[in-house]
Amino acid sequence: MDTQYANPEEYGLADLLCCAAAREVQDHEIVFAGTGLPMVAIMLAQKTHAPNLKLIFEAGTLDGRPPEIPTSVGDARCEMGASRSSGLNDAFSIAQRGHVDLGFLGGAEVDEYGNVNTTCIGDYLNPELRLTGSGGNPDINSFAKRTVFIMVHEKRRFTERVSYITSPGWRVKKWPGGDFVHRRELYGSAFRGGPSAVISTAGVFRFDDEVGRIYLDTCHAGKTPAEIRDMCQFDLDISRVSGETVPPTRKELHIIHNVLDPEQIFIPKVKKA
Amino acid sequence: MSSGKRITLQQAAEIVKDGSSLTFSGFTIWRRPFALVYELIRQGRKGLHLIEVNGGPQTEFLVGAGCVDIWESCWVGHELYGKYGANLSRKVGTKEILVEDYSHAEMMFRFAAAAAGSPYAITQTSLGTDIHNPDYDTLGKAGLRDGKRIASHKYVFTEDPFYGAGSQVLVPAAKVDVAVMCVQQVGEEGTVRTSGQFYSDPEAARAADITIVIAEEIVPEEYLRRESDRNTIASFEVDYILECPFGAHPTGMFGRYDVDGAFLKDFYAGTRTQEGFDAFAKEWIHGQDHMSYLEKLGWPRMLNLKANTALNYSTGVKRGQ
Repeated sequence: MDTQYANPEEYGLADLLCCAAAREVQDHEIVFAGTGLPMVAIMLAQKTHAPNLKLIFEAGTLDGRPPEIPTSVGDARCEMGASRSSGLNDAFSIAQRGHVDLGFLGGAEVDEYGNVNTTCIGDYLNPELRLTGSGGNPDINSFAKRTVFIMVHEKRRFTERVSYITSPGWRVKKWPGGDFVHRRELYGSAFRGGPSAVISTAGVFRFDDEVGRIYLDTCHAGKTPAEIRDMCQFDLDISRVSGETVPPTRKELHIIHNVLDPEQIFIPKVKKA
Repeated sequence: MSSGKRITLQQAAEIVKDGSSLTFSGFTIWRRPFALVYELIRQGRKGLHLIEVNGGPQTEFLVGAGCVDIWESCWVGHELYGKYGANLSRKVGTKEILVEDYSHAEMMFRFAAAAAGSPYAITQTSLGTDIHNPDYDTLGKAGLRDGKRIASHKYVFTEDPFYGAGSQVLVPAAKVDVAVMCVQQVGEEGTVRTSGQFYSDPEAARAADITIVIAEEIVPEEYLRRESDRNTIASFEVDYILECPFGAHPTGMFGRYDVDGAFLKDFYAGTRTQEGFDAFAKEWIHGQDHMSYLEKLGWPRMLNLKANTALNYSTGVKRGQ
């Protein structure tokens, strides 16, 4: 199979995000999977460089190896091939116990410390729009060693202050006062890590080890660091850019479209010109 | 042996009173007791307090129909088939509903505590988030924390007194009047066998004061007791049972039928407004009963959703673009 990088006309943005997400997974890791593109990314990693990864579905499937892509973590497709199928109490207890290396999550808004909002747009008490709510986002983000967020990049979403901290980043609120403190201070011996990357539709971002502030790591093809900085409401650090986001290989595209998601549930195929 | 636990759908709905607290089996768009949700809407139930590990279409239908005063949970939407709960969102905007937000793990642990008879659970999740913001204690601000059915605090923060592990969050047990389960099989005496992931069903059933089980089929107890290790809920934990094939539609049921994604998409697209919801309810709920609903859906649609018995899911449904 062709391990050459594909040309830009051969793939779409969803392919690029999926492959970038897959590259965050290391072999032998235990990965907590949410619904959607992350599920495809994890299964892609499982079929390429991380054959020994273990997959946990939030609804209660442990070490899952679904024969076809589930449309949600509660899907009947999750069980087949799994080590154990049970329920949420198992999944969350295992996560709180510290077994999860990596979780993939989404968000409507993110701030420069990786705090994410999936609850509401605008004031919580008088919201412009009520969203889905937290789901397991804060739980996975509290329990896992690393979390990776996959997000649509719009200036209003990369904001100085999220409307509501649904999921904890590197500087979080200490209650009852609500003053911002480093995550390590609050989590104490339960501290295991936090957000390690944001993969947006513009680039890949990482977090400074010391203060946990976001910086731009790679730009997707066709985007410049300055353009991406202009797509953030906060002052994005672009001093540490390492280059362009690695494009998908032809082998990865083959696996995504012919093996994992031939029905195009999450990843549309690029139409050949 | 018959236990006399059998009731009708109408009787099941009547057990849920105006103002009852209520929870369900399942997970997001899987194994939700829709036949009863529809019947509650037909009967015009009011003032419900939904306490759910996670929400889903059942939340959206009950909220859209004006049955719900309080929703206490962490998530609502239709997964792939509708990205958020538009009915809940609308009623949050018009302040017709109170929402109490916890995290998913917190909700799960709250049910596990209630199921074990413990007053609270202890966890380290969601520290530093606005979920713990004291200004966002909705039920407290509404003066509803009576310390009886609704806990006197949303959270209590404490330090680990045993191992010095630092900040801990105490979350109150989820005290629920009625749990309605939708499962594959129940025995005449109430023994439940679910297949596939059992989600938070065992804890929900045990947490509630009254547990009603809606099953695809009622089977002989003796059949279930031949392999009791496969059963998920014990007979005496179940108060009422009824048989209701396709009772979870439009949500899916492992081994029986898939999620009806097209139905959920139509619901999501059509019920952004109250007028849209009312029209949808008029077409699919009011003036119907479960059998006429199935008749309206029709054989071709239901056969397409039917799970392949070897795979436990349908190979016929169109899932992607």
